[in-house]
Amino acid sequence: MTNANSAEPIIRIEHVWKFFGELPALQDVSLHVYQGQRVVIIGPSGSGKSTLLRSINRLEEINSGLISVDGIDVNDPKNDINKIRQNLGMVFQQFNLFPHKTVLQNLTMAPCRLRGMPRKEAEELALRLLNKVGISDKAHAYPAMLSGGQQQRVAIARALAMQPELMLFDEPTSALDPEMVGEVLDVMVNLARDGMTMICVTHEMGFARTVADVVVFMDKGQILEVGSPEDIYEHPQHPRLQQFLKQVL
Amino acid sequence: MRENEENGLPAGMAPEGKIEVPAGGLVLPDSEKGGIVNAWSLSLVGAVVVLTVLCTVWPDPYLEILRFLPGGLVVTFEVTILSIVCAIPLGLITGLGRLSHNRVINLIASTYVEVIRGIPLLVQIFYIYYALAKFLQVSGLTSAVIAISFCYGAYMGEVFRAGIMAVPKGQTEASRSLGFNKVQTMLFVVLPQALRTIIPPVGNECIAMLKDTSLVSVMAMPDLMQFGRSFAAKSYLYFETYTVIALIYLIITLLLSKAVSILESRLNYYDKRK
Ligand SMILES: Nc1ncnc2c1ncn2[C@@H]1O[C@H](COP(=O)(O)OP(=O)(O)OP(=O)(O)O)[C@@H](O)[C@H]1O
Ligand SMILES: [Mg+2]
Repeated sequence: MTNANSAEPIIRIEHVWKFFGELPALQDVSLHVYQGQRVVIIGPSGSGKSTLLRSINRLEEINSGLISVDGIDVNDPKNDINKIRQNLGMVFQQFNLFPHKTVLQNLTMAPCRLRGMPRKEAEELALRLLNKVGISDKAHAYPAMLSGGQQQRVAIARALAMQPELMLFDEPTSALDPEMVGEVLDVMVNLARDGMTMICVTHEMGFARTVADVVVFMDKGQILEVGSPEDIYEHPQHPRLQQFLKQVL
Repeated sequence: MRENEENGLPAGMAPEGKIEVPAGGLVLPDSEKGGIVNAWSLSLVGAVVVLTVLCTVWPDPYLEILRFLPGGLVVTFEVTILSIVCAIPLGLITGLGRLSHNRVINLIASTYVEVIRGIPLLVQIFYIYYALAKFLQVSGLTSAVIAISFCYGAYMGEVFRAGIMAVPKGQTEASRSLGFNKVQTMLFVVLPQALRTIIPPVGNECIAMLKDTSLVSVMAMPDLMQFGRSFAAKSYLYFETYTVIALIYLIITLLLSKAVSILESRLNYYDKRK
Protein backbone atom coordinates (compact mmCIF):
# COMPACT_ATOMS: atom_id res chain seq x y z
CA MET A 1 0.00 0.00 0.00
CA THR A 2 1.26 3.47 -0.75
CA ASN A 3 2.59 5.75 1.93
CA ALA A 4 2.85 2.95 4.45
CA ASN A 5 5.42 4.81 6.44
CA SER A 6 5.23 2.84 9.66
CA ALA A 7 5.01 -0.85 10.24
CA GLU A 8 1.92 -0.99 12.47
CA PRO A 9 -1.33 0.27 10.99
CA ILE A 10 -3.53 2.53 13.17
CA ILE A 11 -6.61 0.80 11.88
CA ARG A 12 -6.56 -2.88 11.20
CA ILE A 13 -9.68 -4.36 9.62
CA GLU A 14 -9.41 -8.11 9.10
CA HIS A 15 -11.96 -10.37 7.40
CA VAL A 16 -14.95 -8.47 8.69
CA TRP A 17 -18.48 -9.71 8.12
CA LYS A 18 -21.57 -7.80 9.02
CA PHE A 19 -25.16 -8.85 8.43
CA PHE A 20 -28.37 -6.89 8.70
CA GLY A 21 -30.70 -9.84 9.07
CA GLU A 22 -29.99 -11.95 6.00
CA LEU A 23 -28.31 -9.14 4.13
CA PRO A 24 -24.51 -9.17 4.17
CA ALA A 25 -23.54 -5.50 4.43
CA LEU A 26 -19.84 -6.36 4.76
CA GLN A 27 -18.35 -9.49 3.25
CA ASP A 28 -14.86 -10.47 4.32
CA VAL A 29 -13.58 -6.90 4.29
CA SER A 30 -9.94 -6.28 5.14
CA LEU A 31 -8.16 -2.91 5.16
CA HIS A 32 -5.17 -1.37 6.89
CA VAL A 33 -4.82 2.34 7.50
CA TYR A 34 -1.48 3.76 8.54
CA GLN A 35 -0.48 6.88 10.42
CA GLY A 36 -0.92 9.97 8.25
CA GLN A 37 -2.72 8.15 5.47
CA ARG A 38 -5.70 9.68 3.70
CA VAL A 39 -8.12 7.00 2.58
CA VAL A 40 -11.14 7.72 0.41
CA ILE A 41 -13.91 5.12 0.11
CA ILE A 42 -16.16 5.19 -2.93
CA GLY A 43 -18.87 2.91 -4.18
CA PRO A 44 -22.53 2.79 -5.16
CA SER A 45 -25.34 3.38 -2.69
CA GLY A 46 -25.85 0.47 -0.33
CA SER A 47 -22.37 -0.94 -0.93
CA GLY A 48 -21.52 -0.87 2.78
CA LYS A 49 -19.35 2.25 2.96
CA SER A 50 -21.12 3.74 5.95
CA THR A 51 -21.35 0.37 7.63
CA LEU A 52 -17.60 -0.09 7.32
CA LEU A 53 -16.87 3.37 8.66
CA ARG A 54 -19.33 2.99 11.53
CA SER A 55 -17.89 -0.38 12.44
CA ILE A 56 -14.55 1.26 13.14
CA ASN A 57 -15.93 3.17 16.13
CA ARG A 58 -18.48 0.47 16.87
CA LEU A 59 -21.58 2.43 15.98
CA GLU A 60 -22.25 -0.85 14.17
CA GLU A 61 -21.26 -4.11 15.74
CA ILE A 62 -19.70 -6.62 13.39
CA ASN A 63 -20.58 -10.31 13.27
CA SER A 64 -17.12 -11.69 12.69
CA GLY A 65 -13.58 -10.62 11.94
CA LEU A 66 -11.41 -8.12 13.73
CA ILE A 67 -11.22 -4.35 13.88
CA SER A 68 -8.50 -2.79 15.96
CA VAL A 69 -7.45 0.79 16.60
CA ASP A 70 -3.86 1.21 17.77
CA GLY A 71 -3.79 -2.51 18.36
CA ILE A 72 -6.89 -2.41 20.59
CA ASP A 73 -9.78 -4.63 19.54
CA VAL A 74 -12.82 -2.33 19.42
CA ASN A 75 -15.28 -5.19 19.77
CA ASP A 76 -13.69 -6.75 22.82
CA PRO A 77 -16.01 -5.92 25.72
CA LYS A 78 -12.97 -5.75 27.99
CA ASN A 79 -11.81 -2.63 26.16
CA ASP A 80 -13.54 0.64 27.00
CA ILE A 81 -15.19 1.68 23.74
CA ASN A 82 -15.77 5.19 25.06
CA LYS A 83 -12.03 5.71 25.49
CA ILE A 84 -11.39 4.35 22.00
CA ARG A 85 -14.02 6.66 20.51
CA GLN A 86 -12.43 9.70 22.11
CA ASN A 87 -9.53 9.07 19.79
CA LEU A 88 -11.68 8.71 16.66
CA GLY A 89 -13.36 11.86 15.39
CA MET A 90 -16.49 11.29 13.33
CA VAL A 91 -18.30 13.63 10.96
CA PHE A 92 -21.79 12.73 9.75
CA GLN A 93 -23.68 13.53 6.61
CA GLN A 94 -26.38 15.28 8.66
CA PHE A 95 -23.92 17.26 10.85
CA ASN A 96 -25.68 16.20 14.06
CA LEU A 97 -24.68 19.28 16.01
CA PHE A 98 -26.31 19.55 19.42
CA PRO A 99 -29.06 22.09 18.77
CA HIS A 100 -29.53 23.06 22.41
CA LYS A 101 -25.89 24.12 22.77
CA THR A 102 -24.14 27.11 21.24
CA VAL A 103 -21.39 26.51 18.73
CA LEU A 104 -18.79 27.07 21.43
CA GLN A 105 -20.53 24.69 23.83
CA ASN A 106 -20.75 22.07 21.09
CA LEU A 107 -16.95 22.19 20.94
CA THR A 108 -16.14 22.46 24.63
CA MET A 109 -18.58 19.87 25.94
CA ALA A 110 -16.58 16.74 25.20
CA PRO A 111 -13.09 18.05 26.17
CA CYS A 112 -14.45 19.45 29.45
CA ARG A 113 -16.53 16.48 30.46
CA LEU A 114 -14.47 13.64 29.05
CA ARG A 115 -10.91 14.91 29.32
CA GLY A 116 -11.46 17.10 32.36
CA MET A 117 -10.08 20.09 30.52
CA PRO A 118 -10.60 23.39 32.38
CA ARG A 119 -13.34 25.49 30.79
CA LYS A 120 -11.05 28.34 29.90
CA GLU A 121 -8.56 26.11 28.17
CA ALA A 122 -11.35 24.29 26.31
CA GLU A 123 -12.77 27.59 25.11
CA GLU A 124 -9.39 28.73 23.86
CA LEU A 125 -8.98 25.45 22.02
CA ALA A 126 -12.50 25.78 20.62
CA LEU A 127 -11.90 29.29 19.38
CA ARG A 128 -8.64 28.21 17.75
CA LEU A 129 -10.47 25.42 15.96
CA LEU A 130 -13.36 27.65 14.93
CA ASN A 131 -10.81 30.04 13.54
CA LYS A 132 -9.24 27.20 11.64
CA VAL A 133 -12.56 26.24 10.05
CA GLY A 134 -13.33 29.90 9.42
CA ILE A 135 -16.34 30.60 11.66
CA SER A 136 -14.95 32.09 14.86
CA ASP A 137 -17.53 34.88 14.61
CA LYS A 138 -20.35 32.39 15.18
CA ALA A 139 -19.06 31.02 18.48
CA HIS A 140 -22.13 32.13 20.42
CA ALA A 141 -24.75 31.30 17.81
CA TYR A 142 -26.98 28.25 18.03
CA PRO A 143 -26.59 25.69 15.22
CA ALA A 144 -30.05 26.47 13.80
CA MET A 145 -28.80 29.94 12.91
CA LEU A 146 -26.02 28.58 10.71
CA SER A 147 -26.02 27.46 7.10
CA GLY A 148 -25.41 23.80 6.31
CA GLY A 149 -21.83 24.46 5.29
CA GLN A 150 -21.17 26.34 8.49
CA GLN A 151 -22.79 23.61 10.55
CA GLN A 152 -20.64 20.96 8.94
CA ARG A 153 -17.50 22.99 9.59
CA VAL A 154 -18.54 23.30 13.24
CA ALA A 155 -19.11 19.55 13.31
CA ILE A 156 -15.57 19.00 12.05
CA ALA A 157 -14.23 21.40 14.67
CA ARG A 158 -16.23 19.61 17.35
CA ALA A 159 -14.65 16.30 16.43
CA LEU A 160 -11.20 17.93 16.34
CA ALA A 161 -11.72 19.38 19.82
CA MET A 162 -11.13 15.91 21.25
CA GLN A 163 -7.75 15.98 19.47
CA PRO A 164 -8.36 12.62 17.84
CA GLU A 165 -5.71 10.59 16.16
CA LEU A 166 -7.96 9.78 13.24
CA MET A 167 -10.99 11.33 11.55
CA LEU A 168 -13.86 9.44 9.97
CA PHE A 169 -16.02 11.31 7.46
CA ASP A 170 -19.27 9.81 6.19
CA GLU A 171 -20.29 11.75 3.08
CA PRO A 172 -19.72 15.10 4.80
CA THR A 173 -20.80 17.13 1.77
CA SER A 174 -23.71 15.08 0.46
CA ALA A 175 -26.37 16.95 2.42
CA LEU A 176 -25.08 20.37 1.41
CA ASP A 177 -26.25 22.79 -1.21
CA PRO A 178 -23.69 22.75 -4.04
CA GLU A 179 -22.38 26.23 -3.28
CA MET A 180 -21.40 25.11 0.24
CA VAL A 181 -19.51 21.98 -0.71
CA GLY A 182 -16.31 23.89 -1.43
CA GLU A 183 -15.97 25.51 1.98
CA VAL A 184 -16.25 22.14 3.74
CA LEU A 185 -13.84 20.43 1.35
CA ASP A 186 -11.33 23.24 1.90
CA VAL A 187 -11.40 22.53 5.61
CA MET A 188 -10.85 18.84 4.94
CA VAL A 189 -7.99 19.51 2.53
CA ASN A 190 -6.29 21.71 5.13
CA LEU A 191 -6.76 18.99 7.70
CA ALA A 192 -5.13 16.50 5.36
CA ARG A 193 -2.24 18.91 4.74
CA ASP A 194 -1.71 19.11 8.52
CA GLY A 195 -1.08 15.39 8.44
CA MET A 196 -4.34 14.14 9.96
CA THR A 197 -5.06 10.49 9.31
CA MET A 198 -8.48 10.37 7.66
CA ILE A 199 -10.94 7.91 6.22
CA CYS A 200 -13.52 9.65 4.06
CA VAL A 201 -16.54 8.26 2.34
CA THR A 202 -17.07 10.81 -0.40
CA HIS A 203 -17.89 11.08 -4.05
CA GLU A 204 -15.93 14.31 -4.44
CA MET A 205 -13.39 13.15 -6.97
CA GLY A 206 -11.51 16.45 -6.89
CA PHE A 207 -10.96 15.97 -3.20
CA ALA A 208 -9.91 12.36 -3.65
CA ARG A 209 -7.41 13.31 -6.32
CA THR A 210 -5.96 16.18 -4.28
CA VAL A 211 -5.50 14.49 -0.95
CA ALA A 212 -6.09 10.77 -1.08
CA ASP A 213 -3.20 8.36 -0.74
CA VAL A 214 -5.49 5.43 -1.21
CA VAL A 215 -8.88 5.09 -2.85
CA VAL A 216 -10.97 2.07 -1.92
CA PHE A 217 -13.81 0.92 -4.14
CA MET A 218 -16.62 -1.02 -2.48
CA ASP A 219 -19.54 -2.80 -4.05
CA LYS A 220 -22.12 -5.13 -2.47
CA GLY A 221 -20.28 -5.24 0.82
CA GLN A 222 -16.92 -6.12 -0.68
CA ILE A 223 -13.76 -4.19 -1.31
CA LEU A 224 -13.17 -4.78 -5.01
CA GLU A 225 -10.24 -2.51 -5.69
CA VAL A 226 -7.68 -0.51 -3.73
CA GLY A 227 -5.19 1.85 -5.30
CA SER A 228 -3.83 5.35 -5.73
CA PRO A 229 -6.22 7.96 -7.17
CA GLU A 230 -4.49 7.56 -10.57
CA ASP A 231 -4.93 3.79 -10.48
CA ILE A 232 -8.57 4.02 -9.54
CA TYR A 233 -9.71 6.91 -11.68
CA GLU A 234 -7.41 6.51 -14.73
CA HIS A 235 -6.79 2.78 -14.87
CA PRO A 236 -9.68 1.05 -13.17
CA GLN A 237 -9.27 -2.72 -13.39
CA HIS A 238 -12.48 -4.22 -12.05
CA PRO A 239 -15.41 -4.08 -14.48
CA ARG A 240 -17.80 -2.95 -11.73
CA LEU A 241 -15.48 -0.05 -10.89
CA GLN A 242 -15.29 0.89 -14.56
CA GLN A 243 -19.04 0.83 -14.75
CA PHE A 244 -19.41 2.83 -11.51
CA LEU A 245 -17.01 5.53 -12.72
CA LYS A 246 -18.88 5.77 -16.01
CA GLN A 247 -22.06 6.45 -14.07
CA VAL A 248 -20.68 9.09 -11.72
CA LEU A 249 -18.49 10.95 -14.21
CA MET B 1 -25.22 -5.81 25.67
CA ARG B 2 -25.08 -4.90 22.04
CA GLU B 3 -23.90 -1.38 21.47
CA ASN B 4 -25.87 -0.60 18.38
CA GLU B 5 -29.19 -1.78 19.65
CA GLU B 6 -29.69 1.19 21.88
CA ASN B 7 -30.04 3.30 18.79
CA GLY B 8 -32.74 1.19 17.23
CA LEU B 9 -35.89 2.95 18.18
CA PRO B 10 -39.15 1.06 18.36
CA ALA B 11 -41.70 1.73 15.70
CA GLY B 12 -44.29 4.44 16.09
CA MET B 13 -42.05 7.44 16.53
CA ALA B 14 -43.89 10.52 17.50
CA PRO B 15 -43.74 13.10 14.75
CA GLU B 16 -41.12 15.59 15.79
CA GLY B 17 -42.22 18.43 17.97
CA LYS B 18 -45.74 17.55 19.01
CA ILE B 19 -46.81 14.84 21.34
CA GLU B 20 -50.34 13.75 21.74
CA VAL B 21 -51.66 14.33 25.18
CA PRO B 22 -52.68 10.93 26.49
CA ALA B 23 -55.03 11.95 29.27
CA GLY B 24 -57.56 14.73 29.40
CA GLY B 25 -55.48 17.85 29.45
CA LEU B 26 -56.71 21.28 28.54
CA VAL B 27 -56.23 22.62 25.09
CA LEU B 28 -53.21 24.87 25.42
CA PRO B 29 -53.69 28.44 24.38
CA ASP B 30 -52.30 28.69 20.89
CA SER B 31 -49.81 31.51 20.94
CA GLU B 32 -49.82 31.81 17.16
CA LYS B 33 -53.47 32.73 17.03
CA GLY B 34 -52.75 35.57 19.51
CA GLY B 35 -55.21 38.42 19.64
CA ILE B 36 -57.31 39.56 22.56
CA VAL B 37 -60.35 37.48 21.69
CA ASN B 38 -59.62 33.78 21.86
CA ALA B 39 -61.15 30.86 23.67
CA TRP B 40 -58.71 31.17 26.51
CA SER B 41 -59.21 34.85 27.30
CA LEU B 42 -62.94 34.56 26.76
CA SER B 43 -63.18 31.72 29.29
CA LEU B 44 -60.98 33.46 31.82
CA VAL B 45 -62.69 36.82 31.58
CA GLY B 46 -66.08 35.11 31.58
CA ALA B 47 -65.28 33.07 34.68
CA VAL B 48 -63.86 36.02 36.60
CA VAL B 49 -66.75 38.29 35.62
CA VAL B 50 -69.41 35.74 36.55
CA LEU B 51 -67.75 35.06 39.88
CA THR B 52 -67.39 38.76 40.67
CA VAL B 53 -70.94 39.57 39.69
CA LEU B 54 -72.33 36.69 41.73
CA CYS B 55 -70.35 37.74 44.78
CA THR B 56 -71.26 41.42 44.57
CA VAL B 57 -74.91 41.08 43.63
CA TRP B 58 -75.69 38.14 45.95
CA PRO B 59 -73.03 38.24 48.64
CA ASP B 60 -75.28 35.85 50.49
CA PRO B 61 -74.68 33.02 49.65
CA TYR B 62 -71.93 33.40 47.01
CA LEU B 63 -69.46 35.45 49.03
CA GLU B 64 -70.14 33.14 51.98
CA ILE B 65 -69.25 30.14 49.87
CA LEU B 66 -66.13 31.81 48.52
CA ARG B 67 -65.01 32.71 52.05
CA PHE B 68 -65.49 29.14 53.16
CA LEU B 69 -63.27 27.56 50.50
CA PRO B 70 -59.62 28.70 50.92
CA GLY B 71 -58.82 25.91 53.38
CA GLY B 72 -59.88 23.37 50.77
CA LEU B 73 -57.92 25.13 48.08
CA VAL B 74 -54.76 24.79 50.14
CA VAL B 75 -55.27 21.04 50.43
CA THR B 76 -55.98 20.77 46.71
CA PHE B 77 -52.69 22.50 45.94
CA GLU B 78 -50.88 20.43 48.52
CA VAL B 79 -52.10 17.16 47.03
CA THR B 80 -51.36 18.40 43.50
CA ILE B 81 -47.85 19.59 44.21
CA LEU B 82 -46.85 16.49 46.17
CA SER B 83 -48.29 14.30 43.42
CA ILE B 84 -46.40 16.21 40.74
CA VAL B 85 -43.17 15.86 42.68
CA CYS B 86 -43.69 12.10 42.85
CA ALA B 87 -45.21 11.53 39.42
CA ILE B 88 -42.55 13.27 37.33
CA PRO B 89 -39.60 11.13 38.49
CA LEU B 90 -41.84 8.07 38.28
CA GLY B 91 -42.78 9.09 34.74
CA LEU B 92 -39.15 9.57 33.75
CA ILE B 93 -38.18 6.18 35.15
CA THR B 94 -41.17 4.55 33.46
CA GLY B 95 -40.39 6.22 30.14
CA LEU B 96 -36.76 5.13 30.29
CA GLY B 97 -37.89 1.66 31.33
CA ARG B 98 -40.21 1.45 28.34
CA LEU B 99 -37.28 2.34 26.08
CA SER B 100 -34.88 -0.05 27.77
CA HIS B 101 -33.51 -2.97 25.81
CA ASN B 102 -33.36 -4.96 28.99
CA ARG B 103 -36.35 -7.29 28.61
CA VAL B 104 -37.18 -7.49 32.30
CA ILE B 105 -37.09 -3.75 32.92
CA ASN B 106 -39.06 -3.11 29.75
CA LEU B 107 -41.68 -5.67 30.71
CA ILE B 108 -42.11 -4.24 34.21
CA ALA B 109 -42.50 -0.69 32.90
CA SER B 110 -44.88 -1.72 30.12
CA THR B 111 -47.03 -3.81 32.43
CA TYR B 112 -47.27 -0.94 34.88
CA VAL B 113 -48.44 1.41 32.14
CA GLU B 114 -50.87 -1.16 30.75
CA VAL B 115 -52.45 -1.92 34.11
CA ILE B 116 -52.74 1.67 35.26
CA ARG B 117 -54.19 2.85 31.99
CA GLY B 118 -56.85 0.20 32.20
CA ILE B 119 -58.25 1.24 35.57
CA PRO B 120 -60.25 4.42 36.15
CA LEU B 121 -58.54 6.84 38.49
CA LEU B 122 -61.46 6.88 40.87
CA VAL B 123 -61.28 3.11 41.21
CA GLN B 124 -57.53 3.30 41.75
CA ILE B 125 -57.97 5.88 44.46
CA PHE B 126 -60.53 3.74 46.25
CA TYR B 127 -58.39 0.66 45.78
CA ILE B 128 -55.13 2.18 46.97
CA TYR B 129 -56.86 3.90 49.85
CA TYR B 130 -58.41 0.72 51.14
CA ALA B 131 -55.45 -1.47 50.28
CA LEU B 132 -53.11 0.86 52.13
CA ALA B 133 -55.53 1.14 55.02
CA LYS B 134 -55.63 -2.64 55.24
CA PHE B 135 -51.88 -3.12 55.55
CA LEU B 136 -50.45 0.21 56.71
CA GLN B 137 -51.53 3.14 58.78
CA VAL B 138 -51.32 5.98 56.31
CA SER B 139 -53.03 9.32 56.28
CA GLY B 140 -55.62 10.31 53.71
CA LEU B 141 -53.12 12.74 52.23
CA THR B 142 -50.46 10.08 51.77
CA SER B 143 -52.77 7.62 50.11
CA ALA B 144 -54.22 10.35 47.88
CA VAL B 145 -50.73 11.35 46.76
CA ILE B 146 -49.70 7.74 46.21
CA ALA B 147 -52.81 6.97 44.17
CA ILE B 148 -52.57 10.03 41.97
CA SER B 149 -48.80 9.79 41.42
CA PHE B 150 -49.07 6.14 40.63
CA CYS B 151 -51.67 6.80 38.00
CA TYR B 152 -50.08 9.87 36.49
CA GLY B 153 -46.61 8.30 36.60
CA ALA B 154 -47.88 5.91 33.95
CA TYR B 155 -49.38 8.66 31.79
CA MET B 156 -46.22 10.73 32.12
CA GLY B 157 -44.11 7.71 31.33
CA GLU B 158 -45.69 7.71 27.89
CA VAL B 159 -45.01 11.40 27.49
CA PHE B 160 -41.37 10.96 28.47
CA ARG B 161 -41.02 7.99 26.17
CA ALA B 162 -42.42 9.87 23.20
CA GLY B 163 -40.28 12.91 23.96
CA ILE B 164 -37.10 10.86 24.15
CA MET B 165 -37.97 9.00 20.96
CA ALA B 166 -38.54 12.25 19.13
CA VAL B 167 -34.87 13.21 19.56
CA PRO B 168 -33.17 12.19 16.30
CA LYS B 169 -30.97 9.13 16.44
CA GLY B 170 -28.09 11.14 14.97
CA GLN B 171 -27.85 13.06 18.24
CA THR B 172 -27.14 9.89 20.15
CA GLU B 173 -24.65 8.76 17.54
CA ALA B 174 -22.81 12.06 17.56
CA SER B 175 -22.60 11.97 21.33
CA ARG B 176 -21.45 8.36 21.47
CA SER B 177 -18.89 8.98 18.73
CA LEU B 178 -17.33 11.73 20.85
CA GLY B 179 -16.88 9.19 23.63
CA PHE B 180 -19.83 9.92 25.90
CA ASN B 181 -21.30 6.81 27.47
CA LYS B 182 -25.01 5.98 27.47
CA VAL B 183 -25.82 7.77 30.70
CA GLN B 184 -23.90 10.91 29.75
CA THR B 185 -25.56 10.89 26.35
CA MET B 186 -28.99 10.67 27.95
CA LEU B 187 -28.23 13.42 30.48
CA PHE B 188 -26.34 15.92 28.34
CA VAL B 189 -27.74 15.38 24.87
CA VAL B 190 -31.04 13.53 24.70
CA LEU B 191 -32.97 14.66 27.78
CA PRO B 192 -32.30 18.39 27.40
CA GLN B 193 -33.70 18.18 23.87
CA ALA B 194 -36.53 15.89 24.86
CA LEU B 195 -37.58 18.27 27.63
CA ARG B 196 -38.64 20.77 25.03
CA THR B 197 -41.24 18.41 23.66
CA ILE B 198 -41.99 16.88 27.04
CA ILE B 199 -42.67 19.98 29.11
CA PRO B 200 -45.89 21.16 27.46
CA PRO B 201 -47.67 17.79 27.73
CA VAL B 202 -46.25 17.26 31.21
CA GLY B 203 -47.62 20.66 32.12
CA ASN B 204 -50.96 19.56 30.75
CA GLU B 205 -50.79 16.41 32.81
CA CYS B 206 -50.12 18.49 35.91
CA ILE B 207 -53.20 20.57 35.21
CA ALA B 208 -55.26 17.45 34.64
CA MET B 209 -53.84 16.19 37.92
CA LEU B 210 -55.06 19.28 39.73
CA LYS B 211 -58.53 18.65 38.41
CA ASP B 212 -58.40 14.99 39.30
CA THR B 213 -57.47 15.76 42.89
CA SER B 214 -61.17 16.54 43.23
CA LEU B 215 -61.66 12.77 43.20
CA VAL B 216 -59.77 12.42 46.48
CA SER B 217 -62.65 14.05 48.28
CA VAL B 218 -64.16 10.59 48.24
CA MET B 219 -61.56 9.71 50.86
CA ALA B 220 -62.77 12.54 53.04
CA MET B 221 -59.75 14.62 52.15
CA PRO B 222 -60.53 18.23 53.04
CA ASP B 223 -59.79 19.53 49.54
CA LEU B 224 -61.65 22.17 47.57
CA MET B 225 -64.26 19.69 46.40
CA GLN B 226 -64.78 18.28 49.88
CA PHE B 227 -65.15 21.77 51.34
CA GLY B 228 -67.78 22.45 48.72
CA ARG B 229 -69.58 19.22 49.47
CA SER B 230 -69.71 19.88 53.16
CA PHE B 231 -70.87 23.45 52.65
CA ALA B 232 -73.58 22.28 50.29
CA ALA B 233 -74.65 19.55 52.67
CA LYS B 234 -74.99 22.02 55.50
CA SER B 235 -76.74 24.77 53.59
CA TYR B 236 -78.58 22.74 50.93
CA LEU B 237 -77.25 25.28 48.41
CA TYR B 238 -75.97 22.63 46.00
CA PHE B 239 -76.34 24.60 42.80
CA GLU B 240 -74.74 27.77 44.18
CA THR B 241 -71.87 25.93 45.84
CA TYR B 242 -70.96 23.87 42.80
CA THR B 243 -71.17 26.94 40.60
CA VAL B 244 -68.47 28.59 42.69
CA ILE B 245 -66.38 25.42 42.85
CA ALA B 246 -66.53 24.99 39.09
CA LEU B 247 -65.55 28.62 38.48
CA ILE B 248 -62.60 28.35 40.85
CA TYR B 249 -61.28 25.19 39.19
CA LEU B 250 -61.75 26.82 35.82
CA ILE B 251 -59.89 29.99 36.74
CA ILE B 252 -56.97 28.05 38.24
CA THR B 253 -56.57 25.70 35.30
CA LEU B 254 -56.84 28.52 32.78
CA LEU B 255 -54.08 30.43 34.55
CA LEU B 256 -51.89 27.35 34.77
CA SER B 257 -52.39 26.49 31.12
CA LYS B 258 -51.22 29.99 30.25
CA ALA B 259 -48.13 29.44 32.38
CA VAL B 260 -47.43 26.20 30.49
CA SER B 261 -47.70 27.89 27.13
CA ILE B 262 -45.37 30.69 28.22
CA LEU B 263 -42.89 28.10 29.40
CA GLU B 264 -43.25 26.31 26.10
CA SER B 265 -42.35 29.38 24.09
CA ARG B 266 -39.33 30.01 26.33
CA LEU B 267 -38.11 26.51 25.61
CA ASN B 268 -37.91 27.15 21.92
CA TYR B 269 -35.03 29.58 22.37
CA TYR B 270 -32.56 27.64 20.32
CA ASP B 271 -34.37 27.20 17.07
CA LYS B 272 -35.23 30.78 16.48
CA ARG B 273 -33.30 31.87 13.46
CA LYS B 274 -31.84 35.31 13.55
N1 LIG C 1 -29.61 -0.33 10.40
C1 LIG C 1 -29.77 -1.07 9.29
N2 LIG C 1 -30.69 -2.05 9.25
C2 LIG C 1 -30.86 -2.82 8.16
N3 LIG C 1 -30.15 -2.69 7.03
C3 LIG C 1 -29.22 -1.73 6.99
C4 LIG C 1 -28.98 -0.87 8.11
N4 LIG C 1 -27.99 -0.01 7.79
C5 LIG C 1 -27.64 -0.32 6.53
N5 LIG C 1 -28.35 -1.35 6.04
C6 LIG C 1 -28.20 -1.96 4.72
O1 LIG C 1 -26.86 -2.36 4.59
C7 LIG C 1 -26.39 -2.08 3.29
C8 LIG C 1 -25.18 -1.19 3.35
O2 LIG C 1 -25.59 0.06 3.84
P1 LIG C 1 -24.62 1.29 3.97
O3 LIG C 1 -25.38 2.37 4.62
O4 LIG C 1 -23.36 0.86 4.61
O5 LIG C 1 -24.33 1.67 2.45
P2 LIG C 1 -23.59 2.92 1.86
O6 LIG C 1 -22.54 2.40 0.98
O7 LIG C 1 -23.16 3.83 2.96
O8 LIG C 1 -24.71 3.60 1.01
P3 LIG C 1 -25.04 5.15 0.76
O9 LIG C 1 -24.11 5.61 -0.32
O10 LIG C 1 -26.46 5.12 0.30
O11 LIG C 1 -24.83 5.86 2.05
C9 LIG C 1 -27.55 -1.46 2.54
O12 LIG C 1 -28.17 -2.47 1.79
C10 LIG C 1 -28.47 -0.96 3.62
O13 LIG C 1 -29.79 -1.02 3.20
MG1 LIG D 1 -23.71 5.79 3.58
